[in-house]
Amino acid sequence: MEADTKPKKYGPRLCCICNQRRAALKRPKTLEQICKECFYEVFEEEIHQVIMENQLFKPGERIAIGASGGKDSTVLAYVLSELNRRHNYGLDLFLLSVDEGITGYRDDSLETVKRNELQYGLPLKIVSYKDLYGWTMDEIVKMIGLKNNCTFCGVFRRQALDRGAALLKVDKVATGHNADDIAETVLLNILRGDIARLSRCTSITTGEDGPIPRCKPFKYTYEKEIVMYAYFKKLDYFSTECIYSPNAYRGFAREFIKDLERIRPRAILDIIKSGENFRISTSTKMPEQGTCERCGYISSQKWCKACVLLEGLNRGLPKLGIGRSRGLNSDVKKDIKQGGGTESIESKQCGSLDF
Amino acid sequence: MACSSSTCNSSGCYKGYNEEERKPTTRAAVNGRNSHQNLCVKCKSNEPICCGIDRDDAKFCRDCFKTNIYGKFKQAVTYNAMITPSDKVLVAFSGGPSSRVVLQFVHEMQYRAQRNYDASKDKSLPVFGVGVAFVDESSIHSFSSQEIEKAIEDIRSIVSNLAPPSKELYVVPIENIFSSDGFDGKERLKKLLDAVSDDTGKEDLLIHLQLLLLQKVASENGYTRVVLGSCTSRIACHVISATVKGQGYSLSADIQYVDSRWEIPVVLPLRDCSAQELNTLCGLDGLKILELLNGPRSGINGLVSSFVKVLQEENPSRECTIVRTAGKLTPFHFNRIPEIHDSNVPLATRRRQKRHSLKPNGSLSSESFCPICNSPLDKSNLSSSLSSLGSHQNSDILAAACCSSCQFQILPKEPSLLEQFVSLLPQPLITKANHGDQGDFSLLREQIQDFLLSDGEDEN
Amino acid sequence: MQLTLEFGGGLELLCESVKVHNVNVDLPKGAEKLTMRDLLSWVRTNLIKERPEMFMKGESVRPGVLVLVNDCDWELSGQLDTTLEEKDVVVFISTLHGG
Repeated sequence: MEADTKPKKYGPRLCCICNQRRAALKRPKTLEQICKECFYEVFEEEIHQVIMENQLFKPGERIAIGASGGKDSTVLAYVLSELNRRHNYGLDLFLLSVDEGITGYRDDSLETVKRNELQYGLPLKIVSYKDLYGWTMDEIVKMIGLKNNCTFCGVFRRQALDRGAALLKVDKVATGHNADDIAETVLLNILRGDIARLSRCTSITTGEDGPIPRCKPFKYTYEKEIVMYAYFKKLDYFSTECIYSPNAYRGFAREFIKDLERIRPRAILDIIKSGENFRISTSTKMPEQGTCERCGYISSQKWCKACVLLEGLNRGLPKLGIGRSRGLNSDVKKDIKQGGGTESIESKQCGSLDF
Repeated sequence: MACSSSTCNSSGCYKGYNEEERKPTTRAAVNGRNSHQNLCVKCKSNEPICCGIDRDDAKFCRDCFKTNIYGKFKQAVTYNAMITPSDKVLVAFSGGPSSRVVLQFVHEMQYRAQRNYDASKDKSLPVFGVGVAFVDESSIHSFSSQEIEKAIEDIRSIVSNLAPPSKELYVVPIENIFSSDGFDGKERLKKLLDAVSDDTGKEDLLIHLQLLLLQKVASENGYTRVVLGSCTSRIACHVISATVKGQGYSLSADIQYVDSRWEIPVVLPLRDCSAQELNTLCGLDGLKILELLNGPRSGINGLVSSFVKVLQEENPSRECTIVRTAGKLTPFHFNRIPEIHDSNVPLATRRRQKRHSLKPNGSLSSESFCPICNSPLDKSNLSSSLSSLGSHQNSDILAAACCSSCQFQILPKEPSLLEQFVSLLPQPLITKANHGDQGDFSLLREQIQDFLLSDGEDEN
Repeated sequence: MQLTLEFGGGLELLCESVKVHNVNVDLPKGAEKLTMRDLLSWVRTNLIKERPEMFMKGESVRPGVLVLVNDCDWELSGQLDTTLEEKDVVVFISTLHGG
C-alpha cells in the first residue's frame, strides 16, 4: 500500500461546515462537502424550516404519516418524531399503512413498518383492502390478470389512506414525496397534457378542501440525501419492487431526472420552481366535488371511482370503469386514464407516487 | 383542420382530451382499416405515401400531405395576422429542414399574392416583401473554410432559384453582433463565450445572440417581421428544457405564434408542424438541406433532445401533447401582433386580428425582462435577487436584473470575471436591457432603485 | 485485493439477494492500482446475475445508484477514478425503489 494514495481519499477532504471531521458526502443542493454529523443537522434543520415556513402543522394536531416501509416514509417518520420532540411541535404522530394484500411484497414491508412502530414509539394503524373492499390485490390480480391492476391498486390506495386517516381521527396526512418525485410528476403532467394536475402537483399541501389535507415535508429534499440519511443512520427500511408491476420504476422520466441530476443537480429544484411559477389561469375549471352516493367518499361523479371498480369486480365485469368501456358513470372514462402510452412513461413504483 | 399524424392533437386538429390516451389497439384498428383500403383518407383516390419513421401514419397521398402542411402554415399566418400586405418579412434560414420549409412556404405565399396583384385592377394593396438571413457561425465552430463557402454558395443558389419576386439574402457572420461597438468582433465573441463555463449556458447565450443579430439585420434593413422555422418538435424540446432550467414563469412567452417583445415581432408559423413532417416534405419536394450546420446539442439541451426523441418514438403524438400542455399556460400581452392601425391593411384582416389574437393581459409596461435572454421576469424573484445586490457596480446591477437561469448558467460567479463578462457584452444587448437608452445602465439603475425603495418601504 | 462489497436499496436482487460480498479482486494486468472503474467492470462480470442495465450505464453506475467507499460518497473521491485499497468497503445503494 502506498502512503501517497491515502491523503487523496481521506486527507484534505474536511467538512466545509465544521472544518474538523472528514467529509462524507457532497450535497446535491449546494455541492458542499460535509461530514455525517453536519449533514444530519442541516438535513433536519432544512425540513424544520420547510415545516415552519409553510405552516404545515399546528400545535395539538393529530398527524398520520403515510408509511409504506420504504425509504422515504421511514426517514419521514424518524425525522418528524425527532423534530416534534426537539422543537415542541406538540403533534400526536401516527403511522398509517395500507395493506393491499400482496403476498411476498406488502406483508414483508409491513413487517418493517411494525418494527418502526416500536423503534420510534409511534402508534400504527393498518387498513387493508380486504377489510375495506372485500378483495386483496392477490385476489384482484387472479381475476383480472396483470393488465390494469395498477389502476385498481392506485384508486383503492388513495381512498384507503383517507379512510385510515378518518379512523385515526387525524387532522392531516404527511407523505414521503421527495423533490425527485415532485420534479418527476411535473414532467409527467406536461407529457400527458394534464394542466389541472400540473397546477396542483407542486403544492406542498393539497386537499385542503377535502376531508383530510395532505402535506409533503420532503418537497425540497433530494432523494439522494434521504437515502444517504437512512444509510448513515442505519434506519430500517424495505426496498423491493411490487411483484405485480416489476420494473415500473424503469420509466423514462425518472431516468431523465437522474441523468439531469448527474450533470446539474439543481435541475431538480429548478423543475419544481418551474412547476410553482407556471402561469396557469385560475379559471381552469376543476371538477365539481360531490360525494359518492354509495359510500359517501368525495367524488365528482355519482359513484366514486373505487365504487365503480368494486362494482365491476363484484359483478364479475372487471373492465367496468377501466379505459373507454361504458360503465355506470358514462363519463367515468375521463377520470381513469389508462392505456399503452401512459403506462410506459409511468415511472416509480406506483405505490409511492399515488400516496 | 386535419392533421397528417393520426394521433396529433395540436391546436389545429384538437379532437378532445381522450383521443390522446387512446389504447394502441384502437389506433391499430383504425389504421388497419385505412391500409386495407389503401387510399388517401382525404381525397380517397390516390395511394397514401409513407411519411418517415412511423408507417402507421401513412394516410395521406402526396398532394394531400403537402396541402395539409401548407394549410397548417397558412392558418397560423392568417389567424395570427402574422403577415399583412404592407409587411416586409425576414426569414431566418439555417439550412435545416424547418427553415427550408418556412422559406418555401413564405415564398409560395408571396408568389400567390404577386399573381393576385398582377391579375387585379386594384393596385392599392401591395405584395409583402421577403428577405432571407443566414447567420454564419463559422467563427466559433470548427468548419473548414471550404465547407462554409460551399454552404453559403448553396444558400445563395437556393434563394436565387426561388421564382420572382426576388429576395434579398443577408449572410451575416455571428460576430457582427459587435459591429456597432467598433471592435474585432471575432476575438470579442470568443472571449465572451469563453467566459461562460457551463456548456448549456454557452449554447443558450449563442442562441440569444443569434436572435439579437436577426433583430439587428431586420431593423437596419426595414423589415417588419422576423420569421422563424421553429416546429412542434423544437418547441416541445424548448418546453422541457425551459422547465428544467427553472424558467416556468417565462415559458409561455416563447412558444406562441407571435412574440412582439422584440423591436421587430418574431413569428413562428410552423408551430403546428412536426420535424418528421417537415423532413418528409423536404424529401418529397427535393428541397435541399444543409446538414453540416446543425451540430448536436450538448449539456442539458442535449439530454432534453434525446429524452423527447425517445418519448416521441414511444408515442408519435407526444411532442404535440407537450406543446399543447404549454399552450394552455397563460401567454403574455406581447404574444400578439401589435394592433394594426395602418389603413392599407384590409378591414377584414384587422377584424380577424381582433377576433383571434389574445386579449391584452395586464398593463403593457409592467413587465421586466432579463437583460441576457429577454425572458419576462417573475416579480418576486426579481426583488429577492435585488435585495441581495452586493454593490452598485454596473456588472452587479446587470447581474441582479437577470433571470435566475442566466445567473446560474451564463454569468460568471467571480466578481472580476463578471465585470469582464459584462464589459464584453454587445451593444445591442446593453441597449435592449436599457430599453433603447444609450450606454450606462442608467435606466436599469433607475428601475432597480425603484425596487430597492419599495422594498425598504415594506419593511417600515 | 480483499474488498467488502455491499448492495442495498434493491440492488441485492440483481446478485441473488445477497447483500454483503467478501471478494478478492485481482489488479488488471499491468496496472498498479485498482480503481472504481476496474471494480465496476469486475462486479458486472462476476456478481450481477440479472438485468445489468439496472446497475450500470456505460462504464459507470446507472444514475440514481449511490456509491460509498468506506462510508464516503464517491463523488468526493473522484468517482470512477477513486483508487481502492486492501480491505476497503464499497457500498452500492439504489435510490430507485419505492418509498
